[in-house]
Amino acid sequence: MANPQTQHHIEKKEVHKEKGNDYKGTFMSVMLLGGFLILSWVGVWILYLIR
Amino acid sequence: MNMHKYEKVWLLFGTGTLLIFLIIVGISAFYMGNQPPSCAVTLNPDKVDETEPFNEPGLKQIGDDEYQLTIVASAFNYDVGSDDKVIEIPKGATVHFNVTTKDVIHGFELAGTNVNMMLEPGYISTYTNTFKNAGTYTLLCNEYCGAGHHLMAATIEVVES
Repeated sequence: MANPQTQHHIEKKEVHKEKGNDYKGTFMSVMLLGGFLILSWVGVWILYLIR
Repeated sequence: MNMHKYEKVWLLFGTGTLLIFLIIVGISAFYMGNQPPSCAVTLNPDKVDETEPFNEPGLKQIGDDEYQLTIVASAFNYDVGSDDKVIEIPKGATVHFNVTTKDVIHGFELAGTNVNMMLEPGYISTYTNTFKNAGTYTLLCNEYCGAGHHLMAATIEVVES
């Protein structure tokens, strides 16, 4: 009875490993977008302060 | 739950920025007392000319380097208390704008400054601004109000004191 559980666990791990490498580009682009948003907010805030 | 490490980082980043944003809005509203320019202060739009302080529009000194500027907007004019529609303010002065409209919705934008609000009939719009930089600023309507919308303007001159 222990066999199917172990098999399932291994399968899951393999899928996870396979996809893991693909996320770096996604993560970088998402972080760049976040950085752009934060820079825009800071820019607007600085404009508000100096006016 | 099986969640990728990057996904966790991104979710934390998103939740964190949202929390920071909400905290800033909370401090601004409840600690610093910031409120929208038109904050439920009303008057009868048919009796603007008889209502204090709009019966006498213009600049009034109310303290050391502190002024109250009362302006009545109507299609298509800003009544600033003088015929040439020019207001002179000494540099560094704090001005409390007190504005309303007699007829339709008008805009109130002092180009190049943070003064920018909407004027609605029946409501008093207020904004406080300290003029740090000398120069000539144009006050203009930025809400389309009719055929003469583009003619609606006045001038504020911030002069070295």
